[in-house]
Amino acid sequence: MNKVVLQAQGLTKKFGSLTAVDELSLDVYQGEVFGLLGPNGAGKTTSISMICGLLEPDAGSVSIHGLPVHGGQVEAFTRVGVCPQETILWEKLTCLEQLEFIGEMYGVSRKVARQRGEELLALLGLSEKRDKLSATLSGGMKRRLNVALALVHDPEILVLDEPEAGLDPQSRVLVREYIRSLAKKKTIILTTHNMDEAERLADRVAIIDHGVLLVVDTPEELKRTIGEGDVLELEIKEISPEQAMAAIEEALPDLSLRSEQSAAWQSPPPQEADRFVVENAPRDDMVSLRGINIADKLPTIINAIQRAGGQVGEIHLRANTLEDVFIALTGRRLRE
Amino acid sequence: MRFLSVLRKCAREQKRDLWILGLSLAFAPLFVFIYWMFTGGNVTTSYGILVINHDVGITLSDGSNLKSGEEAISAMEVLTFKDGSPILRVKSITDRPAGEKSLRDRDATVLIIIPPDFSQVIAEAQSGETPTTTLEFVGDLTNPYYTVAAVMAITALDSYTVSMTSEYRAVELLETALGGSAARTEFEIYIPGLFVFAVILIMFQAAMMVARDIESGTLQRLKITRLTAFEYLSGTTTWLVLIAVVTILVTFATAAAFGFRSQGALWIAILVGIITSLSIIGVGMIVASFSKTVSQAFVIANFPFGFFMFLSGAAFPVPMGTLFTIAGRDISIVDILPPTHAVAALNKVFTLGVGLDGVIYELCALSLLSVIYFAIGVWLFRRMHLKA
Repeated sequence: MNKVVLQAQGLTKKFGSLTAVDELSLDVYQGEVFGLLGPNGAGKTTSISMICGLLEPDAGSVSIHGLPVHGGQVEAFTRVGVCPQETILWEKLTCLEQLEFIGEMYGVSRKVARQRGEELLALLGLSEKRDKLSATLSGGMKRRLNVALALVHDPEILVLDEPEAGLDPQSRVLVREYIRSLAKKKTIILTTHNMDEAERLADRVAIIDHGVLLVVDTPEELKRTIGEGDVLELEIKEISPEQAMAAIEEALPDLSLRSEQSAAWQSPPPQEADRFVVENAPRDDMVSLRGINIADKLPTIINAIQRAGGQVGEIHLRANTLEDVFIALTGRRLRE
Repeated sequence: MRFLSVLRKCAREQKRDLWILGLSLAFAPLFVFIYWMFTGGNVTTSYGILVINHDVGITLSDGSNLKSGEEAISAMEVLTFKDGSPILRVKSITDRPAGEKSLRDRDATVLIIIPPDFSQVIAEAQSGETPTTTLEFVGDLTNPYYTVAAVMAITALDSYTVSMTSEYRAVELLETALGGSAARTEFEIYIPGLFVFAVILIMFQAAMMVARDIESGTLQRLKITRLTAFEYLSGTTTWLVLIAVVTILVTFATAAAFGFRSQGALWIAILVGIITSLSIIGVGMIVASFSKTVSQAFVIANFPFGFFMFLSGAAFPVPMGTLFTIAGRDISIVDILPPTHAVAALNKVFTLGVGLDGVIYELCALSLLSVIYFAIGVWLFRRMHLKA
């Protein structure tokens, strides 16, 4: 998975005074599922449009296997399949007819396009609808056909823009499993708001905001290193939660503690891996702490409480999620 | 009072779609202005008359020469409107086939042939004899200007002869209809315009078909495949031309079923229709280039439709000034409208029975316009909808 199939370098796009994408550079490796995450208006769709050649960048370049996407290299395009966020279908064509048509547009012979079309319809659970007009399909079926249209020319790279948006749970599972089945055989780039989707599917994710690439890494590594960490909730017996907190602070003098309501860390601010947040506990007899890799500190914390005369009852550990990472990087302010 | 809420909603929506309101409001005033501009407001129409003067003249007993042919021509030339402008534009020619060609091309309205003995007959009538001679009027009787021009010319000629012969009418009139124009029914006269109307309607289909791909986003999907504007528009155009051919055949079959008779070959009319449809579809592509939705395409298409119907002669004759002349042909602003040439060509084929050589000019003009409009359509479409 080390071979770079798609490379974007310094991609920049401005619309008037707004810089939608600002010097975006990224490498996508062969066979990986690459997630592109960002809030609304972050520049995801603009980035994807430039990567697919639909939009000319003001600066920078995109290449697929070294072939420039911009500048008329048709071969580069035939290697990419794009499934747009909106369901874009020809309502007066049947499912199979549109697969044949779009296949031919990519230079595939009608016979092969038809054969691939039938295979895709079967894989996406649409065989029974092959001769039905797309206008007669349900919303979920249309979304699946939308995905099939991106694949009929057997592209090496598949770009999926919000593939699970608007799908019912059954269709979501089907599409997700299908994308998973494609992984390794194809390189997949997907944009999504759905952190669960990205976490389940993506080998690596990039998070962009205000047109700037903030981070690229595996979901596991991002969860381990970014955000406010895992949440540890402990039921305290024999002593009060306040006494338990004091014992924890005493046992871990090198750690900085901050109330969730507090605006700033104690000075000087600790390293990210040593930050702990005291959160509002769900019950009066509990303490709640959040921090990167807080589970590693659990034995020390329990010992401290026991030394202070307390006992630990229930222990709840909720792992840091990609959504926590996303919010940590992009903030809680509403967009658009 | 929920109707007030509906009224308010309509006003708000319209306010946010001002350009459609603007186009709708501008449509009729624009054509009023254009008609005023083209007709020059109160400027009157001058009718083109060709004269072949065979009159040899005579020398009278007092030694003077009588040239009644020339005097008759002068009598026509002095007819003027109140503002002093001539009613008849008289041009002397010598070649009858060339004159008839001008009539077919509608560069002139009437061809008058003055006989060799015209002066002789006038002179004899003056001396109390009762001879007669024949003035021949040649014209396309389906040309709506023919009747007016002929009546004016007859009035002038009759006044002249009567004044010369003391009320004796020494001249008989012979009317020679070009082609089958004499035998055309009113229904048949309308058919060429209806053929062109049928082809013009293809423009709406062209614009809306392309706009549907724009509105639904499917054009974006095609754009990803690197489909070129030329490929897309030529594929669409070819289909629409097939529809145009069927339209023409069905229209002709319907007309024939109700008694329409073509004097010329149908295949020439179909050829004219096909080439016309190409240029009309080219205009449709230009309309589509400016449209983002089907409804926009429909509204915008009404403008070229108005030009085609009201200014090309498809619905009724429109007097147009000459911009310049190429190879003896008067070129006016309406020559940029394909239906102008289509109507002329179909009239020639259906009514006058001309062959392919008789409509070569119109076919060339239509072909040139097709190439120009299609090229503009491709260029605009690429810029507006397929540019990365």
